[in-house]
Amino acid sequence: MDSVLRVEGLEKAYGEVKAVQGLTFEVAPGEVLGLVGPNGAGKTSTLRCLAGILPPSSGRILVAGYDLSRTPVDAKRALAFLPDEPRFFEYLTVWEHLNFTARLYGVEDWEERGRALLEEMELTGKEKSLPGELSRGMKQKLSIACGFLHSPKLILLDEPLTGLDPIGIRRMKASLRRRAEQGAALVLSSHLLPLVEELCHRLLVIAGGKAMALGSLEDIRARLSGAEGEHASLEELFVRITSAGTQAP
Amino acid sequence: MSFPRAVAFLWAATWRNRIRRQLERLRKPRYLLGALVGAAYLYSVFFRRLDFRGSVGTVSEGVRLFAELSLVGSALGTLFAAWALGRDRPSLTFSETEVVQLFPAPVPRRALLQYKLVRGLLGTSLGALFATLFLGRTISPHPALFFVGACLALGTLYLHSTAASFVRTRLSAWGLWGQVVRWGSVGGVLALVVLAVFTSLREHPVPEDLSSGRALRGWLQALMASPGVAAVLWPGRLLVAPALAQSVGDFLWALPPVLALMAAHYGWVLWAEVPFEETAVVRAESRSRERMLRASGRMTRVGSLTLSRPPFRLLPRGRPEVALIWKNLIARKRMGGGFAVFLAFIILGGAIAAMMGDTRLFTDTRRVLGPVALALSVMLTVVGPSAFRMDLRMDLPKLDLLRAMPLTGRQVVRAQLAASSLALTSFQLALLAVALVLGPGVEASRLGGWWWPGGLALAFLLPAVSLSGLFVQNAAVVLFPSWVPADTGERARGIEAMGQRLLAVVGTLVVMLVGLIPAGLVALVVGLPASTLLGPWALPVAGFVAAGVLVGEVWLGVMALGHAFERLDVSEDRPE
Repeated sequence: MDSVLRVEGLEKAYGEVKAVQGLTFEVAPGEVLGLVGPNGAGKTSTLRCLAGILPPSSGRILVAGYDLSRTPVDAKRALAFLPDEPRFFEYLTVWEHLNFTARLYGVEDWEERGRALLEEMELTGKEKSLPGELSRGMKQKLSIACGFLHSPKLILLDEPLTGLDPIGIRRMKASLRRRAEQGAALVLSSHLLPLVEELCHRLLVIAGGKAMALGSLEDIRARLSGAEGEHASLEELFVRITSAGTQAP
Repeated sequence: MSFPRAVAFLWAATWRNRIRRQLERLRKPRYLLGALVGAAYLYSVFFRRLDFRGSVGTVSEGVRLFAELSLVGSALGTLFAAWALGRDRPSLTFSETEVVQLFPAPVPRRALLQYKLVRGLLGTSLGALFATLFLGRTISPHPALFFVGACLALGTLYLHSTAASFVRTRLSAWGLWGQVVRWGSVGGVLALVVLAVFTSLREHPVPEDLSSGRALRGWLQALMASPGVAAVLWPGRLLVAPALAQSVGDFLWALPPVLALMAAHYGWVLWAEVPFEETAVVRAESRSRERMLRASGRMTRVGSLTLSRPPFRLLPRGRPEVALIWKNLIARKRMGGGFAVFLAFIILGGAIAAMMGDTRLFTDTRRVLGPVALALSVMLTVVGPSAFRMDLRMDLPKLDLLRAMPLTGRQVVRAQLAASSLALTSFQLALLAVALVLGPGVEASRLGGWWWPGGLALAFLLPAVSLSGLFVQNAAVVLFPSWVPADTGERARGIEAMGQRLLAVVGTLVVMLVGLIPAGLVALVVGLPASTLLGPWALPVAGFVAAGVLVGEVWLGVMALGHAFERLDVSEDRPE
C-alpha cells in the first residue's frame, strides 16, 4: 500500500545550527510511528517541517501523494498537526473554532462530527466557552477535536498527552488507536516511552537531528548486539542509542 | 548575606545585566540606529526644554489654579478609590518569580513588606520623574522642586492605599460589622463632603455667564476659598503644596507637614500589616496567566470579551479564506471597543463645547455633526490603519496556526487585509453618509454644486487610501519582523526600541506617500480633461480612477507579500 507520509533527505537549519539532518522515512496508512529523542534532538523541528509550518532547508516531503513544497494546500488538507502547546484564537468559542476549521477544510457535516468529537473529548457543555476559560487539559482536547474534524489521513502529534488526566489519557490512547485502525497514519513525538511502546508500530529515534534508529522495537532490539540487547526495555534502548548518538563526533 | 543586601544585589545585578544586554544589542546596526534616533527624539522633546539649575520664570495664575485643582482632585480621587473601590485584600503585588524565590526564603513577613514598600516608592518616584518631564516645566518654575514634591505626594498616596487595603482586609474579617464600620465611615465622610460643597455653592452659586476664562477662574477661586470647600480640599492641598511651590521658601515651608504625613503613613502601614501571602500568590498567578495570553497574541483579559453574535453565518462550503475574514470580524466585534471610544469622544467633545459656552451643538446639531463626521471620516484614513489591527499584525504571533492551514500565502494575506479593510471602510462610509446628509450641503453658498460630487469622490478615495495604509503596515510586519514586531503584547523596551519604532513609522509613511503618487498623477490626467465636460462631477470620476490605481497597487503587493509570507521564518523558530 502507498505510504501516507514519505520523507526524503529532510534537513532544517537555523543559521549555522543544523536541527534536522538527512531524515528519510515513510509511514503507511494505519501505522503509528513514534518519534523519540532527547531534548534538542530536532523532534519538534521535524514535526513542524512535516506540518508545513517551517520550510525545510532541503529534502522532500510527500503527504498523501502531494508534495508539501509544490502543492502545500492539498498536502495540508490531508494532515492535522497537534502541537504540544495548543494555540487558539482567544476570541472564538469552542464551537466557533470547530466552525472555523470546518470552513477551512470544507467539512459539510461538521456540526454532527463536532458534537461527536466534543462528546468523545468530554467537552460537551463547553461549546460557548472561550479558550481562556478552559483548563490546560481541555485546551489539549479542543486542539485534538479541531484536528480530527476533517478526518485527516496523516496526524502529527507533539506530546499529545500533556495536561490530560489519567482518564483523559486512557481515552486519548483509545482514540488514537481507533484513528489508526480507520486508516490514518500517525507520527507521535513524546518523551513518555511507555506510551510510545504501547501505541507505536515503529520507532524513529533521533539525536542531534540525525536518525539513530528506525524500525519496530523488536527490529531495534535485534540490531543491538550482545545478550543485553535482546530483553532490553525501550528506556534502556533509548539511553543506549542516544548516548551513542551524542558521543559520536 | 542579609535580606536587604540580597535585595540590593538582586537589583544591582538586574540593572547591570539589563544595561549590558542593551549595550550588546547596539553592536547590531539596526539597534544602534534606533538608539541614536530614540536619544535624539528624547532630547528634542523633553530634555532640551528641561533646566534643573533654577527658576525658569513664573507660572500664570490660571495654569496654577488648573494644576492645583487637577492634582488635588487626583489625590482625593486616589483616597476615595483606596477606601471605596476594588476588593478587600492587601494591595501588594508580587511577581511569580518573587513568590517562588522570596516566599519560601528564610525571611520574615515584615522584611517582605519593607521590600515591597521600597519597590513601590521607587515606582512612584519614576512616576514623579515622568510627571516632571511632561508637566514640570509647565506648572512649576522649579522642575527639581516639583520632582521632589511629586515624589513625596505620590509616595504618601501609595502608602495610604497600602494601609487602607490592610485596614479593609481586617474589617472584612470582622464580617458584617466590619462592612458597617467601613461603609459607615466612607458614607459619613462623603456626606460631610457633599454638605460642605453644597453650603459653599449656596454662598457662591454658579454664575450665569461662564463664557470667559476670567469669570470661571474668579468663581473657582472664590469657591475654593470658602470654608466648606477649603476644608474638603485641605488634605490634598497639603500634599501637593511642595510640588506646586513657586519658590524655594514656599517649598521649605510646605515640606515639614508632608514629611510628617509620609512618616505617619509609613508607621500606619507597619501597624496595620496583615498576612498578604495568599492574595499575593493568587494575583501573581493571575498576572502570569494574563502575560501568557498577551504573549500568545493579544492583550486580552478573558473576562473582558463579550460574546456577541458572529457578523454572519459561516457555511462549511465556499472559499476557505472567508473563514479568516469571519474570524477577524468576530475579533473586531469582541475586542475592538471602538464604538465606545467614539461615543466617549463625542460626549466629551460636547461637554467641552458646552463648558466653553458654545451652545451650537444643541441649537444646531445638524450643522455641527456633519462637519465633525466628515473630519472623523478623513481622520480615520490616517489613524484607521493603525487602529484597526485585526489582520497579520494580530495573527502573526500565531504563525504556526496560520501556516498549518490549507491556504496559500496569498489567500492568507488577502483575507487578513480584507477583514481590517471591511471594518474600516464601513466606519468611513457610515461617517461620510452622516456628513453628506447632515452637513451644510448645497445650502452653503461656497460649497454649492461641489458637495455631493466631492462626497462621492471621498467615498471612493478614502477606503482605497486606508487599504493602502493597511497593506503597508501588514507588509512591514511580514518583511521586517525585527523592525516592526507584531502585536505580541510584550513590547521591547529601551531607547533603541523606541527609535526603531519611530523609524518604522516614518518608513511606512514614506512608502504610503510614494504609493499615492501614481494614483494622484492618474487622477489628474483623467480628472482635468473630464472637468471641462462634467464640471464638479469630474471629481468622483477622478476619485474612482485614483482608487482603482491604489487597489491595483495593493493587489500587486498582495501577490508579492503572499510569496514572502510563505517564506517567512520568524526568529522564534528555534530548534527545541
